[in-house]
Amino acid sequence: MVVLRDGMCPGLEEELLRQLRAADVKTVEDLVSSDIEELARRCSVSYKALFAIRRVLLAQHAAFPVSGADLYQELLSSTAILSTGIPRLDKLLDSGLYTGEITELCGGPGSGKSQVCFSVSVNVSFHLKQSVIYVDTTGGLTAGRMLQMLRTETSSSEQQMEALQRIRIFRAFDVYALLDVLHGLGGGLLQQASIGGGSVKALIVDSVSAVIAPLLGGKQSEGMSLMVQVAGVLKTLAKDFSVAVLVTNHVSRSASGEVQPGLGASWSHIPRTRVLLERADRGPLRRATLTKSSRQPCLLTEELDLQLWTRPESPPSGKRKLPDS
Amino acid sequence: MCIVTLHGCVYVSTRVRLCACSSCVITSLSASSSAPFQEVLKQARGTLESEMNESGAQLLARLEARRSLKDIEPRLFPDGGGPESGEVVELFGTEGTGKTELLYHLLCRCVLPEAAGGLQVDVVFVDTDYSLDMLRLVSVLDGRLNAGDATRLSLRTPRFPWTGEPQQGRTRVSECLCLCPDEEALSSCLSRLLVVHCSSSSQLLLTLHFLETSLSARPGLSLLLIDSISAFYWPDRSAGGASVTKQEETLTKCSELLGRLLRDYRVTVFTSCHPIRRSGAGSSSDWDRPFLCRSWQRLVTHRLLCSRQEAAGGAGEQRRRQVFSVHCNSFKTKTQRSSCFTVTDGGVQFL
Repeated sequence: MVVLRDGMCPGLEEELLRQLRAADVKTVEDLVSSDIEELARRCSVSYKALFAIRRVLLAQHAAFPVSGADLYQELLSSTAILSTGIPRLDKLLDSGLYTGEITELCGGPGSGKSQVCFSVSVNVSFHLKQSVIYVDTTGGLTAGRMLQMLRTETSSSEQQMEALQRIRIFRAFDVYALLDVLHGLGGGLLQQASIGGGSVKALIVDSVSAVIAPLLGGKQSEGMSLMVQVAGVLKTLAKDFSVAVLVTNHVSRSASGEVQPGLGASWSHIPRTRVLLERADRGPLRRATLTKSSRQPCLLTEELDLQLWTRPESPPSGKRKLPDS
Repeated sequence: MCIVTLHGCVYVSTRVRLCACSSCVITSLSASSSAPFQEVLKQARGTLESEMNESGAQLLARLEARRSLKDIEPRLFPDGGGPESGEVVELFGTEGTGKTELLYHLLCRCVLPEAAGGLQVDVVFVDTDYSLDMLRLVSVLDGRLNAGDATRLSLRTPRFPWTGEPQQGRTRVSECLCLCPDEEALSSCLSRLLVVHCSSSSQLLLTLHFLETSLSARPGLSLLLIDSISAFYWPDRSAGGASVTKQEETLTKCSELLGRLLRDYRVTVFTSCHPIRRSGAGSSSDWDRPFLCRSWQRLVTHRLLCSRQEAAGGAGEQRRRQVFSVHCNSFKTKTQRSSCFTVTDGGVQFL
């Protein structure tokens, strides 16, 4: 809803505004939807002037149609695929996280969601030399673990520090703070945040459900509205700045005992790709299942070893590790 | 008295019903001519100049009926019950039930040239969910363009934008790097598609008004896709306060406008709609009940209910072939039809 104001477009002046208001036309939507001919008579202004104002307002406020061919060309030049640093997960995701999309990791406590987020941050900042924005909503971010991961990649503390510096952390413990951070990023911070060369290529929100889930439930629609807002900002950030967005979500069980991603039906169609993480029966392995994707057949499963970086003797890896099978 | 320059012809009339399309310019002799208005008009006319010249052939093309999409997908609709011009089809289904794939399938059928089995019409895609996956759409489109040679699946590999070097690793995308058979055919298909991104319901309303120009200027435009119409349900509900009328106000306006556009321009509309409840959760029977405002429900003439069939057995081969089913309900002809499809690399395949 956009309220009509003086100086919004040439010709829309105080006097005309007053007359329009008297005719119960207060917003751009009102003006655009009303019968211009009728309105011109009631406000005693010329039809052509009002018509021209309507056209200018429409051009200002409507979304502009883009040709599919142009969009495709633009996409080809801006899309990048970011490796997660975990070869098997990359395989599941058809080689990694795609920029311009939201990827969701869901799983219960201790299923390795945050570990994967750390791994992505480290990989993007160290190997790809690009910046990462990490929004921590649970306080679960441990820089020590990231450093541990980096140590297995390089022994030079200078390089380690350089990589860590490319990871920018924001903490937001409620949905308003999260929206604040995201709006701030959209309003120019995203470009500024690119420290030490590379631009921001990944935005991680761990976890998105921690701030949204408490708002849901009951007969309130405000929580749902906020959730849709968060989703909207994430999507626009992903699209407009071609950033890969990675969010984590909890899981719940349906009445029939089936594991389903948290945050309900209205959230379920927001991420383009979803990976369900579970503890495998034995040891440190995690089972990752692709539950939503537009590129790969769904329900593919891979086992991940998240201890990969804690073994000090693990061989220094090249740019890409080969799947160890 | 007004002199109306309409589509390049000059009419003189005392009172005319004015067309809001961009090709009409109105010069009113009786207008109060204060300076700023003249300026506005000049500005508006400046933007118009380019669109103003229209030949008689183009005028004829506009007045001619648009291509009907009755035969867009005979396997989906009841016999003879395909969507006529000016009708609205709603695809309803939870996440992962093949709605988007189905939309891409229909979209491809529309933009493909007649030689490749398409309808060769223009399409507007109103993307309210920011869900349009161009890479996927192109791979489906490519599959259709090279239907004869099924092994060729082409898509250029995305490159690292900051260095320009191709992505490493053996991805399905990069394996087909050199197999771009017909870039031109692809881009001519894609140029038949117009994409609009909307971020709020009031922007959707304004955009629909704005699209009226495109509708009147492009006679080849026959399909309007909205993905999805329910995207702003929760923000609208929250913004409207306690009053249901207020909550539904914008969508009602959109529906009324859409109704008028459908009457005037005879395009066909396909929309997707996400349910607000999970199927099978709690009171499981009413997950598919329509929840959008009444004036929208009145517009809908066909409803496609999408669902996923539970994959029987756990064999690897079975997993790859998930079966989706779609149930079509045509309100006008009171007929129904169910069909099943699977999704492959090349898009929807009906069973």
